[in-house]
Amino acid sequence: MKLERLIDDSIGKSLEWLDTTANRGSRRLARSTSRRSFLSKLGTMIAGAAALPLLPVARPFAAEQVTELGDPQTCEYWRYCALGGFLCSCCGGTENSCPPGAEPSPITWVGTCKNPVDDVDYLISYNDCCGKSSCERCWCHNTERERPVYYPSKSSSVLWCFGTESRAYHCTVGVVLGEAGSTPG
Amino acid sequence: MRWLAVFVVASVAGAPAMLADPYRDYLLHCSGCHMPDGSGLPPEVPTLVGPLGVMVQTKEGRDYVVRVPGAAQAPLSDAALAAVVNWLLEKFNRDTLPEDFRPLDGAEVGAARRQVLTDPVKLRNRLWPNIDAR
Repeated sequence: MKLERLIDDSIGKSLEWLDTTANRGSRRLARSTSRRSFLSKLGTMIAGAAALPLLPVARPFAAEQVTELGDPQTCEYWRYCALGGFLCSCCGGTENSCPPGAEPSPITWVGTCKNPVDDVDYLISYNDCCGKSSCERCWCHNTERERPVYYPSKSSSVLWCFGTESRAYHCTVGVVLGEAGSTPG
Repeated sequence: MRWLAVFVVASVAGAPAMLADPYRDYLLHCSGCHMPDGSGLPPEVPTLVGPLGVMVQTKEGRDYVVRVPGAAQAPLSDAALAAVVNWLLEKFNRDTLPEDFRPLDGAEVGAARRQVLTDPVKLRNRLWPNIDAR
């Protein structure tokens, strides 16, 4: 009997301790925080998640399905065959995405380059990345298919920062639009 | 940050591998300014989505769409230019294209693009005063 009472007492005390601790803990929590603070933190998280796409991360123009070889930080890289300007891949971006903080130009010019891996001609869009001062790294002046004198719209040297907030030129990318097929006009 | 870029790449639809000739010519000679989806950048670059279907309802309009400098001076044969214009009428203007639309051919396009158009905006505003407000 004595033993049973002893056990009952100790269980009773443990539960009481648990009860008191939980009680104190939740009261302390309630004193130190408020529903408003919870809501404000939740709001911050939601706003933060919504703002994530606005962060200045590198953004590619489109998905590309092409196998390629070589160093995208050199002028000889196949898709730069008509790129005039600084390579975005040397400026914090990639061969098809602007560096963080630079705005891709919607207006561009389109040429073709032959991919040595599959020996196929691809349509390449040479979009400029704008809104930052000139990158000054990896300058290239390749001219395949460009006809600047009599087709100004087919010039690799023109700055294509049209339709962007800023006309400041930063660097250029080469975006693969698709296969050019046989003997494009 | 790399995984984010991979995710962004994966979430954008891929470009078709092999393109039909008119689509290829459109991308090569027109899409640089008019955008791959034809939406343009109004008011500087007019949209090709919608108004063209209205324009080709008259002979003057059929001529106009190949007399504008970007079309008339494109390094394309008359037949190839006709194919591009027919393609973008079907592709971008299905809602406004008349049911009895007769596709353009090389001969019609050739005759039209030889009539030099010095002020496209003036003619556009005279023929279709409200077309850009649609």
